[in-house]
Amino acid sequence: MRKIFRKNIPRTAVAVILCGICSVAVINSQPSAEKSPANAHSKDDAKPMPVYGHWKNFTTKDGLPSDHAYCVRIDGNRVLVGTHEGLSVYEDGKWKTYTTKDGLAHNGVVSIDVSELTGDVWIGTFGGLNRWSAGKFETFTQLNSGLPNDLVYCVICDGKDVWAATAGGAGHYDTYTKAWEIFTEKNAPMHEPWTYGVSAGDGKIFIAAWGGGVIEYTTKTKKFKDYTDPDGEMEIDLLPDDGIVHDITTATSYADGILWVSTYFGMSRYDGSHWKGYFDHDSGLASNFINFIRAKGPVVFICSDKGLSSTDGKSWVTYKKNDNNNDGMAIIKNFGRNDDNTINKTTKEIPLSPSIAHNFIIGVDADKDVLWVATEKGVSRGELMK
Amino acid sequence: MNKIRATIVFFVVMAIGSACIFFSSCSEKSMNEMIVFTRSSGKTKYLDYDTTDSWRYIPQAQIVALDPNNPAGSVKVLTTNYYSARSPQISFDGKYLLFAGQQKQNDPWQIWEMNLRDLKTRQIIASKENCTDPAYLPGGRLVFSKFAPNDTLKAGHSLYTCNLDGSNLKRITFNPHTYFASSILSDGRVLTVGRQIFPEKGDPMFIILRPDGTKADMFYKGTKDTFITSPGLETNNGRIVFIESDKVFRGKGNLISISYNRPLHSRVNLTSEIGGDFHAVCPLHSGRLMVSYRKSESDRYALYEFDPDNKALGKVLYNNAEYDVLEAVETGKHDRPKKLPSELDMGVKTGLLLCQDINVSDMQSSGNTASFPKSSRIEIVGIDSTLGSIDVEEDGSFYLKVLADKPFQIQTVDKDGHILRGPSDWIWLRPNERRGCVGCHQDPEMVPVNRVPLSVKKSPVVIPGHINKVIEKKVSLE
Amino acid sequence: MKTSGILSVLLFFSVLGLIVYFPGRKWARVHVNSKTAVGDHPLNCLSCHLYTQKSGFISKLVNRKYMSPFNMAVSKEGDRLYVVAQEDNALLVVDPEKKKVLKKIIVGNLPHSVILSNDGQRAYVSNEWSDDVSVIDLSTSKVVDTLKTGNGPAGLSLSADNKSLYVVNSYSSNISVLDLNTGEERKRFDTGNNPTGTQLSPDGKTLYVTSRRALIAPYGETLKSEITVLDENSQKITGRRNIESAYMMENIAFTPTGDLAIVTMIRPKNLVPSIQVELGWMMTYGIVVIEQKENGRVIQLLLDEPNAYYSDPFDIVITPDGKKAFVSHSGVNTISVVNIDSVRSLIDKSSPELLNSYSDNLGISSRYVIKRIKTGANPKGLALSSDGKLLYVAEQLEDRIAVINTKSLETVSTIDLGGPNKITVARQGRRLFNNSGHTFQNQFDCYTCHPDMHEDGLVYNMASTDMGRNLTNTQSLRDIGDTPPYKWNGKNQTVYKQDGMRFSTVLTRTEQFNYKDLDAITAYIITGIPYPPNLQYNPNGELTESQLRGKAIFDRTMDNLGNDIPENNRCITCHPPPYYTNLKMAYVKTLASSDDSMLFDTPHLNNIYASPPYLHDGRAATLEEIWTKYGKEDKHGRVNDMTKNQLNDLIDYLKSLRAPAYEHNVSKKFHAKNQSN
Repeated sequence: MRKIFRKNIPRTAVAVILCGICSVAVINSQPSAEKSPANAHSKDDAKPMPVYGHWKNFTTKDGLPSDHAYCVRIDGNRVLVGTHEGLSVYEDGKWKTYTTKDGLAHNGVVSIDVSELTGDVWIGTFGGLNRWSAGKFETFTQLNSGLPNDLVYCVICDGKDVWAATAGGAGHYDTYTKAWEIFTEKNAPMHEPWTYGVSAGDGKIFIAAWGGGVIEYTTKTKKFKDYTDPDGEMEIDLLPDDGIVHDITTATSYADGILWVSTYFGMSRYDGSHWKGYFDHDSGLASNFINFIRAKGPVVFICSDKGLSSTDGKSWVTYKKNDNNNDGMAIIKNFGRNDDNTINKTTKEIPLSPSIAHNFIIGVDADKDVLWVATEKGVSRGELMK
Repeated sequence: MNKIRATIVFFVVMAIGSACIFFSSCSEKSMNEMIVFTRSSGKTKYLDYDTTDSWRYIPQAQIVALDPNNPAGSVKVLTTNYYSARSPQISFDGKYLLFAGQQKQNDPWQIWEMNLRDLKTRQIIASKENCTDPAYLPGGRLVFSKFAPNDTLKAGHSLYTCNLDGSNLKRITFNPHTYFASSILSDGRVLTVGRQIFPEKGDPMFIILRPDGTKADMFYKGTKDTFITSPGLETNNGRIVFIESDKVFRGKGNLISISYNRPLHSRVNLTSEIGGDFHAVCPLHSGRLMVSYRKSESDRYALYEFDPDNKALGKVLYNNAEYDVLEAVETGKHDRPKKLPSELDMGVKTGLLLCQDINVSDMQSSGNTASFPKSSRIEIVGIDSTLGSIDVEEDGSFYLKVLADKPFQIQTVDKDGHILRGPSDWIWLRPNERRGCVGCHQDPEMVPVNRVPLSVKKSPVVIPGHINKVIEKKVSLE
Repeated sequence: MKTSGILSVLLFFSVLGLIVYFPGRKWARVHVNSKTAVGDHPLNCLSCHLYTQKSGFISKLVNRKYMSPFNMAVSKEGDRLYVVAQEDNALLVVDPEKKKVLKKIIVGNLPHSVILSNDGQRAYVSNEWSDDVSVIDLSTSKVVDTLKTGNGPAGLSLSADNKSLYVVNSYSSNISVLDLNTGEERKRFDTGNNPTGTQLSPDGKTLYVTSRRALIAPYGETLKSEITVLDENSQKITGRRNIESAYMMENIAFTPTGDLAIVTMIRPKNLVPSIQVELGWMMTYGIVVIEQKENGRVIQLLLDEPNAYYSDPFDIVITPDGKKAFVSHSGVNTISVVNIDSVRSLIDKSSPELLNSYSDNLGISSRYVIKRIKTGANPKGLALSSDGKLLYVAEQLEDRIAVINTKSLETVSTIDLGGPNKITVARQGRRLFNNSGHTFQNQFDCYTCHPDMHEDGLVYNMASTDMGRNLTNTQSLRDIGDTPPYKWNGKNQTVYKQDGMRFSTVLTRTEQFNYKDLDAITAYIITGIPYPPNLQYNPNGELTESQLRGKAIFDRTMDNLGNDIPENNRCITCHPPPYYTNLKMAYVKTLASSDDSMLFDTPHLNNIYASPPYLHDGRAATLEEIWTKYGKEDKHGRVNDMTKNQLNDLIDYLKSLRAPAYEHNVSKKFHAKNQSN
């Protein structure tokens, strides 16, 4: 995601090289994963990973305002897609687009969340935050409100509270009192105000802070706790599973008591006691360069620059598109244990025709039997394969 | 002895004093309960609208007082020293009588005031021209009609106001109309009968304006078959009553009532079921009316009570075969109309006019959606010449700064100058007056749309167009 | 005593009297002129020295505590009337037949509305100034519970199953859904700006919420006020209908069949230069009719007539037979009776274009208004008996309930609620404030533009010189007695002058107040308009950490870079407590090109959170915008060194400011500190 919004090629290149150098060490350290709760799933309680197929792709030809889709959110019978040219809503088989002419703060829509409490849609854009309620847009900007910054990378609803990760810090908006709070390096354990992602769960807010790892905020006590990479500034993970894999975090997602954290250098899982790191070389991850993640129950969906991955921490399903045509495959990897405690790695590839619209994935949302994916060249909808 | 004499003197003085008080109070009391009316011995002519002055000037008319409790009794002539007098008006405190009078046959008609206690009169207006139809204004002023000969505005009688001593005389109408028969409504405005006389004669209509001459507008214009032939007088239940005469059957004057709240759409003919001819009406404190009425042309106009609720004539108050009753008023105190403030500033030479959309039409509010040619340009026309033509804004609005007290009309034109709609009624603005209209021919019951007219985002266009700049005193009312 | 002696004494006292009288009178004239800023106010000591006392013995002596009935509910049997006595903080239980107040139940601060449960056992009263709802057991007439709400609870509605209570929070502009089993607030939805009225549709499926103020928008944009629609089943907002060119939608009623919802409203002309009152150039009043069907139309119909205006419509009720609607016009002491079949017939036969034109047509009311019924002073809430035969009218400033026969449309009786018999000068002033009789053709009154004696959130083009220039943001009138001068340009040194001759010349355009009335309205404005407590941002005077940081910024003398801030560019210099104004004129570089050159009167900041938009022409929609969009040159305080966090802190602090009465301690500390420095 940062790649889109803030070019960081040299850093990324260094990271990729370092990742390659250290991959052997990481693979060698794999046995330590057995201590991780991620591997604590017994064969009995493990549910099979959902696999989605029957993909249908949508582009400007189908009514999207732009192929460049940033985010997607399923809201009951409709699907909300944030694109470079506005908010697009898919309902009853048709797309309808809303832009600044309708009241959108900016046409670049990068984050969407729906309040379970009120049904209001909260929209993060490149030019402010919108609340879209019963057809009416209300705009919050850094000029007209307490919103920290107009670059709103992520917005989430947590009961009556709305949290926005912005380029000027994390903003908390209490919809009851209409008061804003800003959290930056001035008043929270961040390295700089830039925040990328935010998620909520179990009375806690998890902020993905650029260079600051994950900031955990307990809403009741209003206390902060930060999770940083024990390896410091190094862009390699020297010791496996000692914390988050990198301080440059791109997203957090919390579900079923598990916090998932994505970076451009891999992904982390935290169960409240133990961290577990995942990389493309030791897991089913399509790439270490992860733009966004969304956890749904035990499964987390991972948006990377080389495809969409999903995992429950044990099994992996990655969706990829062929470079030369619209087809692709779902790659299923299982990391089980043999009776002798060695890793049992199986791989299965299911051809998909068509596959997802593009391998550069930026947004994802899943609901029951469908999976929606926002890519650089269109939006894809997959159905759960029985 | 001295004591006895002193006592006798004391009692005599007391008795005389008491008698004076008794009789004076009797006199006052009686005047409080009197009906004052104008009677004319000559045969009352039909209203002649082809001339501008014959209607209100009646020769050998008298203002007389009648005790309504003794209608059979004789009346007291109050204007014995006048060749002719009419248009009696009672002051708000009930103590004075304002009237138009002609002391000698060839004198011009002037405005006079009579003290009802001693019936002494004093001249308020001394003009070479005829003046008539005075009405008391709040704040010690009055309004009346005065003939304006050779008026460059081509007006007949214009309205003027002045103090009760005749000072501070001010003209308040400035268009080529003639104005008569004014009354003051309780809201403080002057209701007068105005009739265009240039470039062609029009039908009389009720015009309403503030006593300073601002915000003049049409109040009621009657039907196509009738003329307004009396002042419009406000009743105590929110109606305006007056007489309309039939254009064809001139002997048929009807008593008409309209509501103050909605004058253009509330006309009720109170006498449609009554034959004969009504000449004048006067509201009474009781809520009933007095009317001047005759059954046929061969009869004289007599004074009757009239029940507006049942639309029925009541008892005869005065009937004399020698006289026509022209108009009547009830003496006694009555409510003072509101004294309206004035935004005039005589140091300013101009007024401002805003029109919201020249293409707003009365047809739109009547549901007629048929298209009519839209215009984006108007021409402002003065008495003798065009004052300029301007493009209006995209929203149809225009904003003018015009010379004060100069009448003009507005017409919409196409790009070649051909008239599309208009001209409008004559308009004038008083010094420093600001005035708005919704459209050029809008339904008079329409209010402006709540939007900022594009034209007021700029400076007003100065009219006449050849004037680049009007130098005037800077004012700030707010 | 000899005659010469008596004459000498008389002569002495006469001379003494003359000596005292003439200079004394001259001094009094100068004194009165200086205090009133006019030259002809009568030399009446009492008008200033007695009736304008805000507190103390004299104030208690000359003033009275009134009941001020505001809203009502009638029991199903019709044997009890429950009257909200706003100023008495009570719910009155009234026997309408015996015309007697049976009980007075003390509730919270400034109660607003009352609603009865379906079984008639409970009454719920919203307390606008204590942010709660009193739950009353009607069998014992006791308050049995108090439920917390949002800020400024006003209108109330019960869910069809009586398990949820909807409370409209008028100040925080949202609606709370209270669970009546637990007493907890389950949800809160944002509504339009300053909502008050709410009503559940007859089928129990849809809840409507009306709002009074328009949505804040730049001057020149079409005025829009929101009616919020909530689906009862899902308890989600399903509609936000913008009612264009209208505001002050106080209340709503449904026809019994549910085919129409009718809302009271005002159509102001704030975007049109205020050059005349004639022909509705300032304000018009009417109803919004909303068809309750798919793609139902929204029609606005005026209740005015071409030369008569029916200002400040407040409540609306509809008879059980669905034939008549009654609308209370609190500004003209009148109830309009609307024939609903005539409304239906009119809208059925009219094209959309025609319906649109009706919203600005003064004559159209004759098609459906069948009667105007006069009432006592300031009719507010209405309630119908369940059989629809009697209409009760809360005459707020009469302390009385009027009873109207809905068939004969005549007032058949009145119920005296037992308020003080004496109408004090300030009470008379309040009546004048709320009555349009002192405006040409009754077109508006003080309350119209200053609802709740505050401000209406609109910007007007007062057209002081040329039209289109000098836009003016309406200012609050709460507790302004000690904050002269008045008007943004500070031209009126006193309330006497503010409401005097010029006021009538350019605004009301009718006869000015006589001095007795002017004294009364001045007495009311100076003594009788308190601020609501700032329960949302500063409930108990203890500032939050953010507010404390904001206060430090407000008080600061040095900027973030360590530079001295010039004294005249510090917040605290121009805005010192307790009113947060130094009562002086200032230049903060906010003059617009459409403004005449002038300085601005430094506004007071008490309860500033409740006064958007901001700046003299309302260009700043929020407090933030004052210093983000419009403070770039650092002339309105030093601000551009601040971080966003600091700006938020400063605004948090500004929002915490309360009524001057609360701020005197702050003021003392401030002045003591200044003296010690």
